Amino acid sequence: MKTLIKISWRNIWRNRSRSIIIITALILGLMGGVFSAAMRLALEEQQFEDTIDNQISHIQLHHPDFIANPEARYSIAGGIEIASELSMRDDIAVASARTVVDGMIASANMSSGVRIKGVVPEVEAKTTGLDELLSDGSYFTGGGRLPSVIIGQALADNLNTGVGSRLVLTFQDVDGEIVSSSFRVEGIFKLTSKSFEERTVYLNAAEMSRIVGAEDVVTEIAVVVEEPGEYRNVAEIIGGLYPDVKVRHWADLQPALYYSLEFLGEALIWILIIIIMAVSFGLLNTILMSILERVRELGVLLAVGMKRRKVFSMIVAETTIIAIIGGIIGLLMSWGMIEILGNTGVPIPGGEGLEDFGYASVLYPRIESSFYFEIALVLVIFAIIASLYPAWKAIRLQPAEAVRQE
Amino acid sequence: MKTVIKTTDLSKTYTGTAVPVHALKNVNLEFRQGEFTAIVGPSGSGKTTFLNVIGGLDKPTGGQVVIDGVDIATMKESKLFDFRLRHIGFVFQAYNLIPVLTAVENVSFIMLLQNRPKAEMEERAREMLNQVGLGDKVDVRPGKLSGGQQQRVAVARALASRPDFVLADEPTANLDTESAFNLLDIMSRLNREEHITLIFSTHDQRVIERARRVITLVDGAVASDEQFERTEVNEKA
Ligand SMILES: Nc1ncnc2c1ncn2[C@@H]1O[C@H](COP(=O)(O)OP(=O)(O)OP(=O)(O)O)[C@@H](O)[C@H]1O
Ligand SMILES: [Mg+2]
Repeated sequence: MKTLIKISWRNIWRNRSRSIIIITALILGLMGGVFSAAMRLALEEQQFEDTIDNQISHIQLHHPDFIANPEARYSIAGGIEIASELSMRDDIAVASARTVVDGMIASANMSSGVRIKGVVPEVEAKTTGLDELLSDGSYFTGGGRLPSVIIGQALADNLNTGVGSRLVLTFQDVDGEIVSSSFRVEGIFKLTSKSFEERTVYLNAAEMSRIVGAEDVVTEIAVVVEEPGEYRNVAEIIGGLYPDVKVRHWADLQPALYYSLEFLGEALIWILIIIIMAVSFGLLNTILMSILERVRELGVLLAVGMKRRKVFSMIVAETTIIAIIGGIIGLLMSWGMIEILGNTGVPIPGGEGLEDFGYASVLYPRIESSFYFEIALVLVIFAIIASLYPAWKAIRLQPAEAVRQE
Repeated sequence: MKTVIKTTDLSKTYTGTAVPVHALKNVNLEFRQGEFTAIVGPSGSGKTTFLNVIGGLDKPTGGQVVIDGVDIATMKESKLFDFRLRHIGFVFQAYNLIPVLTAVENVSFIMLLQNRPKAEMEERAREMLNQVGLGDKVDVRPGKLSGGQQQRVAVARALASRPDFVLADEPTANLDTESAFNLLDIMSRLNREEHITLIFSTHDQRVIERARRVITLVDGAVASDEQFERTEVNEKA
């Protein structure tokens, strides 16, 4: 057995440059696979963080009519109780009851249509992490002459305002009456998504109640579940508990995001399949060539009584050793690559324009450590599979024929 | 002397070709232990076919090959591998050696496949290399040896495992005269010292003269079978 491996090992280095080429192909294949997977994960996480964690949460509850007419009169009956019931559940991390209405925001010289969200600051912080998204100003510390609002960076730019400036909000109250009120910009939040920044305004729920003219008007409940993967089940359970409320999970709310994540996953699988196939065929070709060059030699081995099984294992061992060498070096280099790029980030070509669609212009590739071993294992398995055909070719040689060949 | 190989009406017809080729026609031969035999004959007379068939590398289409009381003509492939490994040594015209193994590893190879104890294997391999005059090339790979030296390693390997007999198909064909004589002398000496039956084929008249028995094949049939008394004049003791 030891000698068999010794022979395989030395056979690999007989045609040094050929082996180096195929090992390099394995390394590059592995790095390509790891890079694709890491970029996908980065993109997915960035999207998840931005869109789901910081904007829409996992699940949202509304009055059924609110969806078409986002006005204060379409509020969730018993919204406060529902939110506190939900918060108490084990499968839910936090539920934020909001008063959300559509309206207008105006600065001294500009105005813009926005969605106005009256929130309980502490609860909202736990739900969307709004307090940590601030790029300027402070988070509902109050104390000013005017009540506070927090607006997106893009909106601030559009309105040509900044922290401390006065703004006027206009919208309909519970009775459908148009109401207006002045606010001061207390903080400015920043997200990857420009459109969310442009159309979202947060203010304190207490102020909101004052303006809409009623207490505890809940038009939206945002829910963060404990296990992100369970969002569908939890949404279904909530739907069952409150049949009069429209319950939607993030995939309902953002089907484009859902499908793009699905597509990314699918695309990644195909990329990996293509890489693995290309490398496997390269390996198959290399081993096959080396078999054809060694027909006489293999014939002699079979002639002197080396069992076909052993000849077979010898060739499979050659490929496996190549795959393991390529695998180990490839893993180390992939790991190094991700360590470096995960810190420096990878700029997306033309990424500036993508920000409007909620994509970051720089991604930080990152990968679960188990993936390294999974892809390396798959590569080694495919390498072994690729060696089966040449090995089978080799053992089908008839010794009498093989040694005769000139 | 004990009979090592006995063929009875041995025939081989190749049918893969347009016209069937009768490479061996009813060959009846017996080889005894310790013989040193040359199989001669013109090109295409069936020398290689004969050696392949008695060596269990090829199946005859008729007749028997009895070795040690067993008819290998009807033996199953898988058993034949083991039979060759245990009973028969081979030396081919060229490419005998595993290029990635050193001389001593090559000589040990058959014994290794036989699972012999490592120490015994090493000792025997070195001894055989000494016997063929390559005691100083133990750790050299075949690529760094001359053609004659490579064939000597092949002979050492074939004999190291002490098979019942050794088959050599034109072992000197690729060698110059001096190397050819040298190889023959070594083969002849080992044949006597180790009592291992040696059967080789050749074209070369000068080589034929060293054999103690010469079987001539013509068109796949035995044309003559002669015994000679040789004086070992050319041997370097
Ligand atoms: N695989 C084969 N298929 C068909 N015919 C074959 C095959 N092998 C050998 N022959 C034919 O069988 C005959 C005997 O061939 P063989 O190789 O045994 O002769 P040989 O005496 O060894 O010749 P040489 O001195 O050239 O090596 C020849 O006519 C050859 O053409
Ligand atoms: Mg021949």
